[in-house]
Amino acid sequence: MTVGAKVKGTVASLKGVEASLHQFYLHAEVDELKPILLEGVQAIRNIVGDLESRVAQLEAEEPQYKGF
Amino acid sequence: MVGWVEIIFRSMIAIVLLWAISKLFVRKSFAQLTLFEGMSTVALAVIAALSSVQLSIPFMYLIVSLLTWGIIMFFAGWFAIKSKRFRNVYYGKGIPIIKDGKLLEEAMKKQRYSTDELLSQLRKKDVFQAADVEFAILEPAGDISVLLKRQHQSLVAKDLGLQEATIKEPQTVVMDGKVLDEPLAVIGLNRGWLEVELDKIGVAIENVFLGQVDQFGQLTVDLFDDEIQVPEPVNKQLVLMAMKKAQADLETYALETEHIEAKESYMANAMKLQKLIAKLEPHLQ
Repeated sequence: MTVGAKVKGTVASLKGVEASLHQFYLHAEVDELKPILLEGVQAIRNIVGDLESRVAQLEAEEPQYKGF
Repeated sequence: MVGWVEIIFRSMIAIVLLWAISKLFVRKSFAQLTLFEGMSTVALAVIAALSSVQLSIPFMYLIVSLLTWGIIMFFAGWFAIKSKRFRNVYYGKGIPIIKDGKLLEEAMKKQRYSTDELLSQLRKKDVFQAADVEFAILEPAGDISVLLKRQHQSLVAKDLGLQEATIKEPQTVVMDGKVLDEPLAVIGLNRGWLEVELDKIGVAIENVFLGQVDQFGQLTVDLFDDEIQVPEPVNKQLVLMAMKKAQADLETYALETEHIEAKESYMANAMKLQKLIAKLEPHLQ
């Protein structure tokens, strides 16, 4: 697998994590949990952002592996 | 009144009265009754039973007797709450039988409590060696309460210095196919939410035998038709593992790339993710 494909895999996985954490946040009964989860969702979003820009760089370097 | 008709009548009254009087007693499980309470219970039962069938006993006697017992027992219980002295006399006090790891033989002799009995009661609490016990009390009901020596006590999360998050009790929201609105309200949800969740699983409310919601708002159901498979709710541990794998991946990418900026970016994010995992881990167990 190329590095690009691997990083994209990690991105997809983290997006899943973000979705699950968001779901927990929406349904959380214990109030202390909510800010922690929200923080988690935002942190993961930032990481995903960084990774996606790296993916864009990689694709620019190796156009033959561009796309899905 | 014809014989058997009177018996039906008496029996019905006896049953109702017996039930009503049992409500006047202090709430305790049968095994926790002191000997006296046990005996009174039996006495009451016998009175009710006898007068249900013994036609030669005038009927009013049944009612009078049961009511007398009921009232006295009720006041005994009520007074026991008001006065500690009365409580000690009426219920009896717990008697220490093992202190500082030593058996108190004089106390045992006074209670005519044999060593065999002591060992047997200890075994009921899974204690096979008297030497393991730091302190034990002989309760008024006749059973023993045991405090083990520290080294024999089971490990608690606190001992390992683990920070455990509070666990809140789950609520049962569907029982026998019917929605219980009160528990739903307790968690702050409503029927609309429930319907959406059930749609997600693809099940109708009528199919649900038992439905519960945990502190995370995850719904688990048991269906009337046990043939249908219900998908597991999103596993918290899977989420945790996905994060850990992602974190490890990021570190790997950091090592593999030669691009300096990318290296720094990967490492920084790997550490952020590490911190996040540490924060969330106790809540996602």
